[in-house]
Amino acid sequence: MLVTWKYRPRNTFIQSLDPRTRLLFMLCIIFALTIPEIWDLRIIFPLFIVSLTLYLLARIEWKDVKRAWLFIGILVFFIVGLNGLLSGRGGPSSVTNLPSPLLFTVPIKIPFTEIGWDVPITVSKVWFAINQITRMLTMAILAIPIPYTMDPNIYGTAFKRMGASDNISFTMDLAFRFLPTFARDFTITLDAQRARGYEMDNLKGGLVARIQRLAPLVIPVVMQSTVTGEEVIDAMDLRAFGTAPRTWLKELKYRKRDYFILGLGLVIFITCCVLKWGFGIGEFAVPDAFAQFLVG
Amino acid sequence: MNDKSTWEFGTRQVVYGAIGAALYGVFSWATNIFPLPAAGNVTFRPAVAVLIFFGAAYGPWVGLLAGFIGNTLGDALSGWGFYWNWSLGNGLMGLVAGLVMSQIKDFRARPDIIKAVVYGVIGIAVGMLFASLTEMFVGGIDINTALVGYFTPAVIGNVVVTVILVPILMIAFAAVASRRGR
Repeated sequence: MLVTWKYRPRNTFIQSLDPRTRLLFMLCIIFALTIPEIWDLRIIFPLFIVSLTLYLLARIEWKDVKRAWLFIGILVFFIVGLNGLLSGRGGPSSVTNLPSPLLFTVPIKIPFTEIGWDVPITVSKVWFAINQITRMLTMAILAIPIPYTMDPNIYGTAFKRMGASDNISFTMDLAFRFLPTFARDFTITLDAQRARGYEMDNLKGGLVARIQRLAPLVIPVVMQSTVTGEEVIDAMDLRAFGTAPRTWLKELKYRKRDYFILGLGLVIFITCCVLKWGFGIGEFAVPDAFAQFLVG
Repeated sequence: MNDKSTWEFGTRQVVYGAIGAALYGVFSWATNIFPLPAAGNVTFRPAVAVLIFFGAAYGPWVGLLAGFIGNTLGDALSGWGFYWNWSLGNGLMGLVAGLVMSQIKDFRARPDIIKAVVYGVIGIAVGMLFASLTEMFVGGIDINTALVGYFTPAVIGNVVVTVILVPILMIAFAAVASRRGR
């Protein structure tokens, strides 16, 4: 069992961008949708197309990302399903307050009991679910390619160049470097415990016993890491870490394409804020055509 | 054993923040491969005990960094992308747990272990509440879903793991620290 970063160099437009550009653009999209609370599909859908285009430009093979998509699929299904189950109609208060024609009800019953209730499925609930899925995917598909297309060795430098302190950036950089070491320690410990008859895949007993039985795996790795930490601290102190600003080996430079993407992100963010707060566009509303289509 | 200045942020905090993050990432990823059996949406993430322990042993900055970066690493390793509000929620979990650091005199003493677990539980509640409530803006869920579907299962799973594993980690740490004399 090896920890392998999903990253692989590819000759793509996305990988030619500065890592800061990609992180900042993703934040622009997330903030554009969440800060002014945009719930209008007329705004969300074009942003979804932008995100999807960038995702496709990353040219990641399906076999690499199918697990991530499965996870996101379950997450979306869970959120939308549970939201519909537990709430009146959906998320934002505008949805809850919206009168809407009833389409059908879904009877829910707790097994072996008489307890149950009918979950009403309304037009606004269906429209909200479509909005919600599109909105979530718009943000998620910008994040999915990052582990596959951004060099893990560049994160520390990227955060430093985005204005983070040496301490924060160094923590980030060290964490990425420690990760394969601890994963190797974990594997060695797992093998050693298995040689002593430890069964990781078949933990027996109740919940408490099962969690307790993880201790032979967790404790050696954690304790060894605390010992390693003291040695690293000594080494860094000997090199006078923290006494003056550090220099960083890797250099990052913005190019024209970076400025274009950053500008695009900024325009999207400002436009969403102006539309919502300046013109009142962006609230949740069910289009008449959709309601007529469903109700007939 | 510790520099008891709670909010100091020097070489020690940088290194242990990074180590905590890497461990949190590795254990999160490992338990994604070997999930513990659980009911419904309740998931048990043993890595949370490591995060709470690092907060208690090395302070709030270490807890914050280990939680934030560690959760990001775990998600990245699994190829799931970046969920900023959950990473920040994990960071808060470690930060609050780390507030107990200056009160811990002996990692073997029962009262100190109880203090660490109590701060850990408060940290879990604060961190998961933040992550669950921000999901209302990010994912468009309502308050019921946030509390019933996210907050409650996350807190239950994390508290169970913390109560069981943190005392074991603290006692083991006391032995290692006394051997090394730091």
